[in-house]
Amino acid sequence: MNKALAPPTAAKPTVDDIIRSQRRTRYARGAFFTLLLIMVVWSVKVTVIDDTDWARIGSLANVLKATNRFIGIDFSLFPTLIGPAIETLMIACLGTLLGVILCIPAAWFGAHNITPYKPITYPLARLMMTLSRSIHEIVWALFFVAAVGLGPLAGVLALAVRSIGFIAKMTAEAIEDIDPGPVDAIRATGGNDFQVVIYGILPQVLPQVLSVVVFEWEINIRRSAILGLVGAGGLGLVFFRQMNTFNYHGVTTVILAILLLILLGEVFSYFARKAVI
Amino acid sequence: MNRALDRQPATPQREWSRFKFPGSLIKYGIWLSILVFLAYTVKYLDIPLDRLLGMFGRLGSTLANRYYPPDIEYIMDLDYLEYVVETIQMAYLGALFGLLASIPLGWFGSYNMTPSRLYVFPIARLISMGCRSVHEMIWAILFVTIIGFGMLPGVLALTFFCTGFAAKLFAEEIEAIDMGPVDAMRASGANLFQIMLFGVFPQVRVAFTGIAIYTWDVAFRAATVVGFFGAGGMGWYLKRNILQIETERVAAILLSIIFLVLISEVLSAWARARVMKMK
Repeated sequence: MNKALAPPTAAKPTVDDIIRSQRRTRYARGAFFTLLLIMVVWSVKVTVIDDTDWARIGSLANVLKATNRFIGIDFSLFPTLIGPAIETLMIACLGTLLGVILCIPAAWFGAHNITPYKPITYPLARLMMTLSRSIHEIVWALFFVAAVGLGPLAGVLALAVRSIGFIAKMTAEAIEDIDPGPVDAIRATGGNDFQVVIYGILPQVLPQVLSVVVFEWEINIRRSAILGLVGAGGLGLVFFRQMNTFNYHGVTTVILAILLLILLGEVFSYFARKAVI
Repeated sequence: MNRALDRQPATPQREWSRFKFPGSLIKYGIWLSILVFLAYTVKYLDIPLDRLLGMFGRLGSTLANRYYPPDIEYIMDLDYLEYVVETIQMAYLGALFGLLASIPLGWFGSYNMTPSRLYVFPIARLISMGCRSVHEMIWAILFVTIIGFGMLPGVLALTFFCTGFAAKLFAEEIEAIDMGPVDAMRASGANLFQIMLFGVFPQVRVAFTGIAIYTWDVAFRAATVVGFFGAGGMGWYLKRNILQIETERVAAILLSIIFLVLISEVLSAWARARVMKMK
């Protein structure tokens, strides 16, 4: 927008020029919003009007009735929820921890100021990060369930691999922003690469990295609560079972339990991040 | 440090250490408790550590034997491309509706601009937290049970997910504004909407656009798998092929998902960089 306002030559823009450029931006903006609107109409037509089976949904009353089945709490489910809730929490903890370990090489290769050999290792690390982030946790879990069998281990591995992307990206950005002074000082006194990382880089990025890790842990609780849907243990398994037995009150109960767990995680992560920074 | 230098040490042989007594104890205590917790967790979850070692070999052989030549022709099919377009539409609508819903939620949920700190603020925060905490998969399953298979439940699930996601970021952005213009407008007698429209909105416009693009990115990533439980799009294709154990087709679909997400990520990074430059 500013570029459009700037005169093409050094001459001072006349009023006509300014008005013309303003009109041009207005037209461009109008065209952009029209395009957005056309896409909305098209998408609504395809997804909501054509694709939806309105006969099955019936009237609004039917939908309300269907929703109404979910309202209520199944108190008898409470004792059976405690074990899976702890399991979910533990899967999240272990997954985050393993993710941190796995992300060390990715962050090392992915920060362009310390990457060992830039033309190869830097794209490799970026590829790792993108791969880890672009595949959904459900897909990762399916993959690991196929590889190591049903159970919490598949969930831990899925979360770990899924966490690499975010933690490594943030860590690499933090490493790129460090003050080069201590690094140069350590190198000048004869420190090797390993010592540079331990004494020059790590102390500078540690608070940021810890805060990112705590944040990722909080997200991982949310993720681990659904990994059970594909057989990786935790609250998701209970959810799936309640859903398949059409115990809708039980479904609501499990969702409330997940919410409670996430709330606890959020409170803990808030104080932990405050303590770290 | 200086004080330690001034004071002549009574025992010169005393060894220097970075952490003094209480600090070092706390430090080692924390490390020890983490280790104990870790050991307990592995035991509680009953993780077979011996299987972990052979995992990579098994994983490699599985990949090579069953997934290796990805069935590229299968995803080049026109039928599949239709599903891809559906996924994009679903993500688009979900992100759009979510963003529209999250603007008032972000306004009400920002501590400095909320109409009522006592009543509206906690409610808005609770709604946005609830939307965000429930995973998109759970939303999808719920909506599929309520209104049946199809793309509408997918759109609704993404809407709820994006609402929670964007409302929090919006609220944080509004909380960071400069209160000067707002106070000036309030002093000259502007009402709540006028303050929002002329005092707050111009300050957060660019940030909102960036958040909107980011939300689209996240919504698309979620949309690729939301169909897994019956909510339309590529996820449904994926589920079908997994159930039929058509592993080579699964590999091809996964590759296509990665490819599409990569494109969307590059595009959104470019768009965000452009928007930020306009600031």
